[in-house]
Amino acid sequence: MSNQRQNLIRNFAIIAHIDHGKSTLADRFIQYCDGLSDREMEAQVLDSMELERERGITIKAQSVSLKYQAKDGLEYQLNLIDTPGHVDFSYEVSRSLTACEGAILVVDASQGVEAQTVANCYTAVDLGLEVLPVLNKIDLPAADTDRVASEIEDVVGIDCSGVLLVSAKTGIGIGELLEEIVRILPAPQGDAEAGTMALIIDSWFDNYLGTVSLVRVMQGSLKLRDKIRMLATGKDHQIDELGVFSPKRTPKKELACGEVGYLVSGVKNITDAKVGDTITSSISPVDTALVGFQEVQPRVFAGLYPVNSADFESFRDALGKLSLNDASLHFEPETSDALGFGFRCGFLGLLHMEIVQERLEREYDLELITTAPTVVYKVELNSGEEVSISNPAALPDLSRIEQVREPIIRANMLMPLEYIGAVITLCIEKRGTQKDIQYLGRQAMLTFEIPLSEVVMDFFDKLKSVSRGYASLDYELLGYEAADMVKVDVLINGDCVDPLAVLVHREQSQYRGRDLVKRMRELIPRQMFDVAIQASIGSKIIARETVKALRKNVTAKCYGGDITRKKKLLEKQKAGKKRMKQIGSVEIPQEAFLAVLNIGGD
Amino acid sequence: MNPVAPLSLYIHLPWCTRKCPYCDFNSHELRGAVDENAYVQALLDDLKQDVKLIDGRELQTIFIGGGTPSLFSGQAITDLLDGIALNINCAPDIEVTMEANPGSSELNKFSAFRAAGVNRLSIGIQSFNAKHLSALGRAHNSSEALNAAKAAKHAGFERINLDIMYALPGQTAESANEDIAQAIKLSPEHLSCYQLTIEPNTLFHKQPPNLPNDQLGWEIQEIVHNSLNRANYKQYEVSAWSKLGEECRHNLNYWQFGDYLGIGAGAHGKVSRPDGSIIRYWKHKQPKRYLHSAHTNSRFGDRKIISEKELGFEFLLNALRLKVGFTPKLFEQRTGLSIDVLQPILSEQIDKHWLTQTNSNIKCSETGYRFLDQLLTDYLPPD
Repeated sequence: MSNQRQNLIRNFAIIAHIDHGKSTLADRFIQYCDGLSDREMEAQVLDSMELERERGITIKAQSVSLKYQAKDGLEYQLNLIDTPGHVDFSYEVSRSLTACEGAILVVDASQGVEAQTVANCYTAVDLGLEVLPVLNKIDLPAADTDRVASEIEDVVGIDCSGVLLVSAKTGIGIGELLEEIVRILPAPQGDAEAGTMALIIDSWFDNYLGTVSLVRVMQGSLKLRDKIRMLATGKDHQIDELGVFSPKRTPKKELACGEVGYLVSGVKNITDAKVGDTITSSISPVDTALVGFQEVQPRVFAGLYPVNSADFESFRDALGKLSLNDASLHFEPETSDALGFGFRCGFLGLLHMEIVQERLEREYDLELITTAPTVVYKVELNSGEEVSISNPAALPDLSRIEQVREPIIRANMLMPLEYIGAVITLCIEKRGTQKDIQYLGRQAMLTFEIPLSEVVMDFFDKLKSVSRGYASLDYELLGYEAADMVKVDVLINGDCVDPLAVLVHREQSQYRGRDLVKRMRELIPRQMFDVAIQASIGSKIIARETVKALRKNVTAKCYGGDITRKKKLLEKQKAGKKRMKQIGSVEIPQEAFLAVLNIGGD
Repeated sequence: MNPVAPLSLYIHLPWCTRKCPYCDFNSHELRGAVDENAYVQALLDDLKQDVKLIDGRELQTIFIGGGTPSLFSGQAITDLLDGIALNINCAPDIEVTMEANPGSSELNKFSAFRAAGVNRLSIGIQSFNAKHLSALGRAHNSSEALNAAKAAKHAGFERINLDIMYALPGQTAESANEDIAQAIKLSPEHLSCYQLTIEPNTLFHKQPPNLPNDQLGWEIQEIVHNSLNRANYKQYEVSAWSKLGEECRHNLNYWQFGDYLGIGAGAHGKVSRPDGSIIRYWKHKQPKRYLHSAHTNSRFGDRKIISEKELGFEFLLNALRLKVGFTPKLFEQRTGLSIDVLQPILSEQIDKHWLTQTNSNIKCSETGYRFLDQLLTDYLPPD
């Protein structure tokens, strides 16, 4: 009985590059299976965060459970587990995939395969998933299905003879695709009678429900009011609610073996429902946990400071609340001579950093200064002691340093053949070492080892610009290597401004310093006095620029009776100043703190 | 409570023969003839109702602005001023200023305006240089500019202001020097010298002219200011200069946060009420709409009480434009607030040497005066 039920379940993910139509396809499935009425159908339902929808990206894993009436007369339960598409969030992908038996590989029929897709597809194959290739956007005039199909065979190495052609936008091929999902993708295995084991795919904090966990039942089952145990903490809880997203939250009495759904069990602290942990029954517990996930480590650090120092407490609260739903966000208090009290925050990448900053400003109404992001350096002191440095200003005195080591990544880049030259030039400029090149039909896969610090800055934008948007990137952390790094300080009117300091490779320090002060001259508005911007290494000044003083700032004509216009003008000036931080007597806009991100640009 | 603020009256005549490319005033190009009588009647109807706001106070000054008020006939101005005198008490030494253009058709009316009761004429010269006049889109030429001041004197005006603009498209230090020297040579009692500013919603904003750069603009300002100082004109406001005792009393009243009624299309008014509140209002901007509503209670574009948190800012916005600044006593009289509400920011700005406080007078320092806008933003109420 229960085995038959299990046979009617299909758990799958969609692997796709940003913009290749994953969310639209998911929406189409929901519509096809009557998951929502037309009225409820808000475009791209799965990206539920406002920011996700705005940026067209998926940040958190989500799931939707649909009932599909197949042509064989049976009703199937299709569980679609969404995966994030951006490299910053790639760790979430393997989590989602672990809960699935199959994956749909969606490739834009005009754009072709991208590096990120390849990496995710390999992960799926490694995890033993059945991969179903699909070409999307076949309604577009630029669609070239034969070329892209053979590219998938060349690059990803999966058979595309029976590739499905769909248009998520117009609905072409969706019915056939659903049939193939049922026919080709395997049903979940696992013994429904064995001791209960469920994997936590994700946990988040909901203002009404408390901690909610997305789980996949690997064996046994979960029932309402069951006593459960989290294996990592050993703590027991009772299931208060469980169910599926259809995509509306739909409570059920049971999650059977093989099913994916959510559960609420009175867990107060989200860290007690750890992602990757195994849930078992506290009455008859299993002893060995499922293979969990690697804990994610932040790769990029930046200081975040409230523009208004009185906002520090609310800033702390906001970070605390955000981290409830974002286990990868790390933060600890930090003090800067120039900026006062703030936090050093760790992020997965620049996009993650931008998203966090935007959410803090939007959802918590804070005005923040973000300092230039940096990676973590390992510094070996003369004493033999090793310290991790995630803030350039905290670099110990050079005389105490034996060696600085920086993180290195392996970058895999996929691009059409004509851009190989440009991409190689870029990678070498970024201190990269070429490791491999593979020709795959009309594309090439280039492998470089590059310092992470070079990649987190503007590498991704540069890669896109030298390849007219065609090159794509995936990377993994390799380890640490010794590097001749120096600290470039920035002085404003003679005073060293600690949050502006950057660590750069000695060979690049001269031009980086020059570029940095030049960029800053463009970003710092003219003030009542000259502002001197200098870059120095130790006590040696390597570059200097001056922002000339403004002569005056006064409205020539005041319109006697009508003061409304003048007031508006002044309000505008004041609003402009809001995004600025007063350092000594100089007002510095937020952009200037991030100037280092754009150096070497145009 | 506080002694009642002096009262002025502003009258707006919104028509021009054509719109100048730099002008963002409420002015409308004349199409066909204006029904002067209807507009004068509307102004008087409007005034009759506004008078209820002032509790019998005496009028100290009148200012007829525009637009181009001198497009109106001497008879219309006579009817207007006579009508005002019937509805409101005028001080015996009332100052009545009218703006006029230097065009030849206007010059012929100067005597009639004087006879109507106008005793101060403000002439929109802007420049004496033919090239600059055409770049500014002005309707008059350089000889008309020169003749205007003489014609005003001839018509019996003893108090004359010339409006001069500088940092004009294509202006050099030399041509600026010639312009200001020419203005001084005519020896008017008052000179208003403005740097040309590009305002939004003007033709110049859409098609920016080639203005002198910052450096040259600054040099030109120095030339203008030095010339005025040498000729014994005294700067009393950011852009206003006068011979001894010849300040414009009407504008001084604005800057000292006095009261004023505003009648005419788009005219603004500000009146202190017996209960201590201060209201600000303006009339409908479109002449047609104004004409239809002037006699009714719906003649206001908007009307509101200035909140306490805005009062300090609004006072300073005006008072700090004056070279002498203000006394704390004046602040307290005009706003009904204690100077203590401003003290924290005032002290901070005194420490920064943006303001000075001497003999109970608070005013801008030389630096503060140059950066007045920046200084004022500190007083804006938090949003």
